[in-house]
Amino acid sequence: MTGEESDREFVDRALRRLPASAPSSGFEAGLRAGYAAWNADRQKGLWAALVGGLRGLSQTVWPGAPLWVPTSALAVALLVGAGLGAALPVATAATDSGFSLEQPQSFSLVASDMTSEEDF
Amino acid sequence: MHDPDAEDVAKAGQGDGTAAARLIGRHASKLFTVARRMLGAQAEAEDVVQEVFLRLWTHAARWQPGKAKFETWLYRVMLNQCYDRLRRRSAVPLEAAEDIADEAAPPDAGLDDGVLSQEIGRALEDLPERQKAAILLCHFRELGNGDAAEIMGISVEALESLLARGRRNLRSRLEHLKEVLGGGS
Repeated sequence: MTGEESDREFVDRALRRLPASAPSSGFEAGLRAGYAAWNADRQKGLWAALVGGLRGLSQTVWPGAPLWVPTSALAVALLVGAGLGAALPVATAATDSGFSLEQPQSFSLVASDMTSEEDF
Repeated sequence: MHDPDAEDVAKAGQGDGTAAARLIGRHASKLFTVARRMLGAQAEAEDVVQEVFLRLWTHAARWQPGKAKFETWLYRVMLNQCYDRLRRRSAVPLEAAEDIADEAAPPDAGLDDGVLSQEIGRALEDLPERQKAAILLCHFRELGNGDAAEIMGISVEALESLLARGRRNLRSRLEHLKEVLGGGS
């Protein structure tokens, strides 16, 4: 047996004599409580971030006004827009002028109005 | 490589308490065993495990499964916490350090199991921190050299060298217990 193997065996024997160490009772419950506290903070943090973001936006749009003023103005504007959109008739399509910038006239080297080379 | 913890880590990061409890159940006591032997103090080991899990929760939502095995990350964080505490301890001036009674029994005393395990525990605690970590990971966690090396952030060759030095060192500290521990050479 080499010195290294003999060291390993000796140390393994020694470490086996160590008593098993167990955490105190309620340790895992404490860890779970730690998770619950972290989770509660996280949720509070998400809500605070949302409110903070809205408040920052409202101060940009309407400086000095409380949060409910720009929020209400936005809500009223949305309602008016939606109401008008629902009440007004759909616009009829524009009459076809035969010309569109989006659809250029087709072009061919063999143009349909040049019936044959004999025309030259 | 399938990591059985990856799914639970992601769920815990999104607020799933059941997934968090599963992770705690799978890893807390194993982490504690190694931390307890690293630090030699029950309360400090519990604090370390608590800190490891707090760090886990704050990182869980950003966990990227493919990057590293979860257990490797967990043990690495735990070891770093233990190293920090051991270094802080050694930075305490001698005048401020508590007197530690020398409870070592004389070599020829008839050792009962309690005294014997105390002696072994103390010899282990006195090892240099990295040698101790290598021995603990391989002995208590029964990790392969590759996994233990990854946790410690070193090559397998460096780990084997640490293990060899650690075992030689521990053996020389326990040489006077050779007869009690059995085995010769």
